[in-house]
Amino acid sequence: MGRPYSNIPFWGWGTMTKRKTSPWNSIKNDLIAYAFMAPYLVLFIVFLLLPAVVGVYASFTKWGIIGEPKWRGLKNYTKLLDSELFIESLQNTLYFVVLAAIPLIVLGFLLALLVNQKLRGRNIARAIVFLPHVVSVAAVGIIFQWILERSSGLLNYYLGVLGVNPPINWLGDPDSAMPAIAITTIWWTVNGNMIIYLAGLQDIPEDLYEAAKIDGAGRWQELRYVTIPMLMPVNAFVIPLTVIACWRVFGQVFVMTRGGPQGSTFTVAQFIYETAFVNFNMGLASAAGVILMVITLSFTIVQLRAMKVI
Amino acid sequence: MAVSWRKDSVYRDGSLNYGRLALYAIMIFVAIVWGAPFIWMFVTSIKPDTEVFSYPPTWWPNEPTLEFYTRLFDSFPMLQWFRNSLIVATITTVLTLATNILAAYPLARMRFRGRKIVLLIILSTFLLPGEILLVPLFLGMIKFKLANTYFSIAVPAAANAFGVFLMTQFFLSIPVELEEAARLDGCSRLGLLWRIFIPLSKPVIATVAIFTFVRSWNDFFWPLIISNTDATRTVPVGLAVFVGRGLSMRFGVIMASAAAATIPAVIFFLLLQRYFVRGISTTGLQG
Repeated sequence: MGRPYSNIPFWGWGTMTKRKTSPWNSIKNDLIAYAFMAPYLVLFIVFLLLPAVVGVYASFTKWGIIGEPKWRGLKNYTKLLDSELFIESLQNTLYFVVLAAIPLIVLGFLLALLVNQKLRGRNIARAIVFLPHVVSVAAVGIIFQWILERSSGLLNYYLGVLGVNPPINWLGDPDSAMPAIAITTIWWTVNGNMIIYLAGLQDIPEDLYEAAKIDGAGRWQELRYVTIPMLMPVNAFVIPLTVIACWRVFGQVFVMTRGGPQGSTFTVAQFIYETAFVNFNMGLASAAGVILMVITLSFTIVQLRAMKVI
Repeated sequence: MAVSWRKDSVYRDGSLNYGRLALYAIMIFVAIVWGAPFIWMFVTSIKPDTEVFSYPPTWWPNEPTLEFYTRLFDSFPMLQWFRNSLIVATITTVLTLATNILAAYPLARMRFRGRKIVLLIILSTFLLPGEILLVPLFLGMIKFKLANTYFSIAVPAAANAFGVFLMTQFFLSIPVELEEAARLDGCSRLGLLWRIFIPLSKPVIATVAIFTFVRSWNDFFWPLIISNTDATRTVPVGLAVFVGRGLSMRFGVIMASAAAATIPAVIFFLLLQRYFVRGISTTGLQG
């Protein structure tokens, strides 16, 4: 029940005891440790660490698909900040983050509360909500293109039944395209947050609720004074990871709108894709990638500071 | 099992009252909202051409047919894409398991210089938006003439730190006494890993394997960039680039392609559900 190994300090030495060793044994021990890690570290360095460093370097250069990079200093960055397209992509992405991240977090929490209730069939409900997690973004995108279709789409039909008229041109209207992408994203990925909050809920010791009950707390007070405060550590990673994922939105947009209509869903990841892999301007795309990284990292730091985690 | 059935719920009141009825109603609504798109996809894919756009929408065709599937497999190299996805996901998964198990052992069980720094660097990559990696990886693959190979699609994905994190956490929970007894019997460290850690970690190994496989199967951005031939193109890229491109009048075929891509994943999930749940709930990461 709950997180089985949460009581083990990840940063500490666990249950290891310190042994007295000679200097040679200690070096040998280090060598053995690194030998075990070597295969993974090679992958990690070659395909993650090194590309990250080169990515930052590339952002200061002019670099095409062939030829050598030429140092350009901060030119890529000034060019980006002068570029209307890039600024628009930042604004669009920020809009998407607001539209999607807040529901992903709040709804994830509410769904976890719901399927944590003692209700018949809650395991089936959990499984159904979780199902989209295993579906590729390509399939999700095309399924929702069909559901959101203007004249024969499922959503407009049932909205019509509820009295919403005329039908909304979800993916064709610049005002509704981003909300449509957000709806798709929420359907697709809210389940991850639901599961994390569910694990968090099941970690809360039962005694706290007993104590609250003895003090005469009703359900709302339990929620307000026990459940929500106890989930703060969960929030400390759900919120940054959700926000980072939203800033990186790509597949849904690529499949459903390709950034349109009228650039209304053109996000930073689309900008990077087109700049790097359609126009082959690697330096400029890398600078956009660095800006994306700076935004997500500063958000994470500010948020964790506000929550007094760091 | 991290998320478990709980016999004694927070609210012990098990009787049926208005509050509980409302909860049931909400739960049913939620199940419909999340289930309907799958059903709608499948129903559309087995409709004949004439019924796809029927209005109001019908939830079962008058004449179910597999015509769209025939058309799909005739017009697109779906089977080749499936084969590619399978090969890529298998390479990534095997590589991830082998390297992660080895790396997690010293991280959890040995004192060595630089342990905290290694851990910190590995874990900090969770906060790194992967977009920054795409350009260097792409240029590197081009430079070494590896674009459009299974290697280029599959291997970079194995650098993900999710599995190392999960396995290290699990290895930390294995009682140290077991290890010490085996060491006194003269067991080498590799022997320890093979005889004690791996057998005890089967559930977490399964979790990492399944997570890695599904992530690799569904990966989109990187395969989109690095493969542009049918010989290596994976299912999601094939769907997005060919089948589903602005072909608004062909929703039948498109839904058949989505169903063909989704049904194996759904079956896979229903069989192995608990491993997904464990992977997410013990790490807080979604793969």
